[in-house]
Amino acid sequence: MTGNVELQTSVNSGGWRLLGRIGYSIMYIVLIIVAIFQLFPLVWLMFFSLKNNQEVFNLPPLSLPMHPRWENYSKVWNAGNIDVYFLNSLWITVVATVLTVVLGSLVTYAITRMKWKGSSFVLGLFMVAMMIPVHSTLIPLFSFFNKVGLTDHPLSLVLSYVAFNMPITIMILLGFYYALPREVEEAAIIDGCSVNRMFFRIVLPMTGSVVATTAIINMIYNWNEFIFVNTFISSDSYKTLTVGVQNFVGQYTTDWGAIGATLMISILPILIMFLFLSDRIVEGIAAGSVKG
Amino acid sequence: MDKVLSNKKMIALYVLPSLLLILTIVYIPIVLTGYYGLNEWNGIGSMKFIGLENYANLMKDGKFWDSAWHSLLLALFSGLSLIIYLMISMVLAARIKGANLFRKIYLIPMLLSSVAIAQLWLRIYNPSNGILNSVLQSIGVDNPPAWLAEPSLVLLALFIPILWQYAGFYILIYYAALKNIPTSLDEAARIDGATSWQIAWKIKFPLIMETVKVTIVLAVVGSLKYFDLIFVMTDGGPNGSSEVMASYMYHTAFRAYDFGYGSATAFFLLVICLVVTWVIRWLTRSKDTIQYS
Amino acid sequence: MKKKAWSVLLLTICMAVIVSACGGGGKNNQANGSEGNDTASGGEKVTVKLMHLWPEGVSAGQNKIVNQIIKEYQDENPNVTIKQEVLDNEQYKNKLKVLSASNELPDVGVTWAAGFMQPYVEGNLFTPLDDLLNGELKDKFVAGTTEAYAVNGKTYALPIEFNIAPIYYNKDLFEKNGLSVPTTYEEFKNVVTTLSAKGIAPIALGNKDRWTGSLWYMYLADRIAGQKTLADTISGSASFTDPGLVQAAQEVQWLVDNNAFIKGFNGQSNEEAKSEFLNEKAAMYLMGSWDIPNFTTNEEIPKEFRDKVGFFKFPTVDGGKGDINSWVGGPGVGLFVAENSKVKDEAKKFVEYFVTKWGEQSVTDAGVIPATKVDAENMDLPQLYKDLFAEMNQASSVTLFADVQMPAKAAETHLNMIQALFGKAVTPQEFAAEHDKALAK
Repeated sequence: MTGNVELQTSVNSGGWRLLGRIGYSIMYIVLIIVAIFQLFPLVWLMFFSLKNNQEVFNLPPLSLPMHPRWENYSKVWNAGNIDVYFLNSLWITVVATVLTVVLGSLVTYAITRMKWKGSSFVLGLFMVAMMIPVHSTLIPLFSFFNKVGLTDHPLSLVLSYVAFNMPITIMILLGFYYALPREVEEAAIIDGCSVNRMFFRIVLPMTGSVVATTAIINMIYNWNEFIFVNTFISSDSYKTLTVGVQNFVGQYTTDWGAIGATLMISILPILIMFLFLSDRIVEGIAAGSVKG
Repeated sequence: MDKVLSNKKMIALYVLPSLLLILTIVYIPIVLTGYYGLNEWNGIGSMKFIGLENYANLMKDGKFWDSAWHSLLLALFSGLSLIIYLMISMVLAARIKGANLFRKIYLIPMLLSSVAIAQLWLRIYNPSNGILNSVLQSIGVDNPPAWLAEPSLVLLALFIPILWQYAGFYILIYYAALKNIPTSLDEAARIDGATSWQIAWKIKFPLIMETVKVTIVLAVVGSLKYFDLIFVMTDGGPNGSSEVMASYMYHTAFRAYDFGYGSATAFFLLVICLVVTWVIRWLTRSKDTIQYS
Repeated sequence: MKKKAWSVLLLTICMAVIVSACGGGGKNNQANGSEGNDTASGGEKVTVKLMHLWPEGVSAGQNKIVNQIIKEYQDENPNVTIKQEVLDNEQYKNKLKVLSASNELPDVGVTWAAGFMQPYVEGNLFTPLDDLLNGELKDKFVAGTTEAYAVNGKTYALPIEFNIAPIYYNKDLFEKNGLSVPTTYEEFKNVVTTLSAKGIAPIALGNKDRWTGSLWYMYLADRIAGQKTLADTISGSASFTDPGLVQAAQEVQWLVDNNAFIKGFNGQSNEEAKSEFLNEKAAMYLMGSWDIPNFTTNEEIPKEFRDKVGFFKFPTVDGGKGDINSWVGGPGVGLFVAENSKVKDEAKKFVEYFVTKWGEQSVTDAGVIPATKVDAENMDLPQLYKDLFAEMNQASSVTLFADVQMPAKAAETHLNMIQALFGKAVTPQEFAAEHDKALAK
């Protein structure tokens, strides 16, 4: 919305018109080539999802089979529980993402703005937390959840997602908070504003673009996660969409076309959420409206 | 002002919930992993305490050091690739026409799960009917290599999709950071006659320096514990020539039932990450944080 | 504007809390509901947890049989509920390990034989099933199949599949190139060189998976050094430096040198390699009998191709000690009952029922060859099945897949060494030495 207006504003001001034009053309050509590369996987996945195993392996990747196998989609859709998985994926992703971003913002604010001993130590604790490979956490975490009665409970997923994505979220937020001008906050404190008011009314809105960024990243991670789901959850009623892929991996064979269809179906919601949140990055500055 | 910002209760309220969560969910496994590493344990039966034996064995385990070298190479490449991502982000953030659309398209690969990306690149690299070799053959290369089967090529062949997979991630972060710079600075510089290049390098880059530092750490730590695509595409092969630390850990712990040794590997991986992070922070340290003036 | 952002955030958090609360509540309701049903049906209500690896999507045949067995069992035993959890192969193995570490195995589950299950047995996680074996299931199993699940004289799982590995070949490609089925290894080498010279990949092999290459090595070892030597070395009681075994490793490298395998075999999965065979780009494919449905009943594969597929036994080597009726294969998966299951008796009863019902149905509905004896002669089966059943009946011995037989750690070394041998990263001598080192541990 606001972003579009800005995009229309004039681009070049100096007298280098011609050179500028050539430079611009080259730049656009490069941008378009890169764009094709980045769009390619989505198109490929679409074609992939319309093939059977033989066609997947034998036809060139970017060709449609003689008879597009739309039945892959009905196969996926009719395989039991897909609606339950979908809803679980949705609410777990949303809850975990919101919690991570809000809690992470609070921590980052406390570390970058508040004055206390041990803030760098605490930051260190969060940073070390992202250095452990996920597979070595499975056995200890399962036995922990088992002891507190949270195995086969969606809370085990939410807690794990929040905890494991927290460090990376804080790290990204950190870079932004350091660069954020402090004048507004200083003025607010002089006016007698409380910490809470300042954080929620001033800082959070000002960091809209990075909040959107971390939200996108968290969402993608949570949406695609499957190792924790498989390990902690055993009831169908709590499993998520990533399980749908497994439905087509057998003991001796794998149904690749159906997997493609599952991936295609499961990418749509995240694509929509992404397109929506992605615009918030641009809106962020408008809402922040900080002028030096 | 200091009084408001050093209110102990508020600090506790802001930090403790997350800290407690991390300490239970992430630090219990970290501490236990360290402990398992001191035991001989197949993950099933009883443990036998053997002190530092696993670590001693790890130090002379040639296969582990090979995998560590591969991980470090990946970290190096990831770090260098940030330059490209930063350049693309600068261009996109320069308010050119269509930037919004380009940005969205550029991030699409990031939405795909590793399963999909691995399948895509397996089809690209397939020695007999993959896209890459078809292209090479059509331009006259007689006997193009089987990319994922050649010990000397496999690492390079894997790095490309890994770096590509994360392009969107870093472009997203850089773009948001650049968009956070007040537009007034940009405009003022232009009025003073600065070129786009000067604005990017002299004004914008220093302002997002903190974010750049963070992404370096993220890229390096992420690479050191990288697992996904390598596991699906080559499983560490052929002959261990694409084994990385995390896949080595997985193979020893989950395939060979040597959970003690696997845990020691994981814990040592954490130590390596810690050291490397510390070195990066030290190399990129600045005397004081850059501020808008 | 600021106010709006704040309220939107608050609203999201509220919604999140509500949704998560609903999720939790749903669980309780459901649990109560099912418990209510159980008590209503009379008898002591029991839930037996079953974990398996036949998802509905791809293993439709097996999945259907499992569900049918469960349904019939629940009908006959109204107080029992069987609750199943399905995972794919890799995830299944991982979860089994994680569950074991907390001693939380499902009541009934799927396990592989010998080396795979040994740690579980030693950790006291599986319960012996000898009472079932000596009871109603006595003499129901194909000879030699339950032994693979025995540790120290007790049987800890009951097999439900039995496989042998023939060499499938494309009759059409053989005919067009004037080749006939080789019965000696010299003839086989001739087949390889002839096909290779004509630009056809002789053998489809996906050695990224490593056990696929192991089959080739095992057969060569069997044919050259004899079944007994091979079995002894795998079990760790003889050395891999036996001249026959070293020669087998040399023959593997001869095949590699003569382009017997598809391009880039060390980087390709079995799945990719199989497609080269299905695609008629490769003429031969050494694989387990589990792939027969692909060459007989699988409608997704063109009938013209399916009709072209035949199989032959691994040829004998001149001067070798092996005989042509000796096979590599063995039981695939079996069912175990957890030692600490609270419903052990019910679980055992269910396993007994499962194994009995699985037999015939698994052949006709899922194309699986069961470990229980079935009367194949009188069943309506494709000829390829009947031929293979006939071969099974006259098999002189079946050597269990080396990676299944060996303890997990040694099996890893074996598989890695196989990839190195095929990739010519080790010599046959180093290959033998590494094996001895791993098995001596």
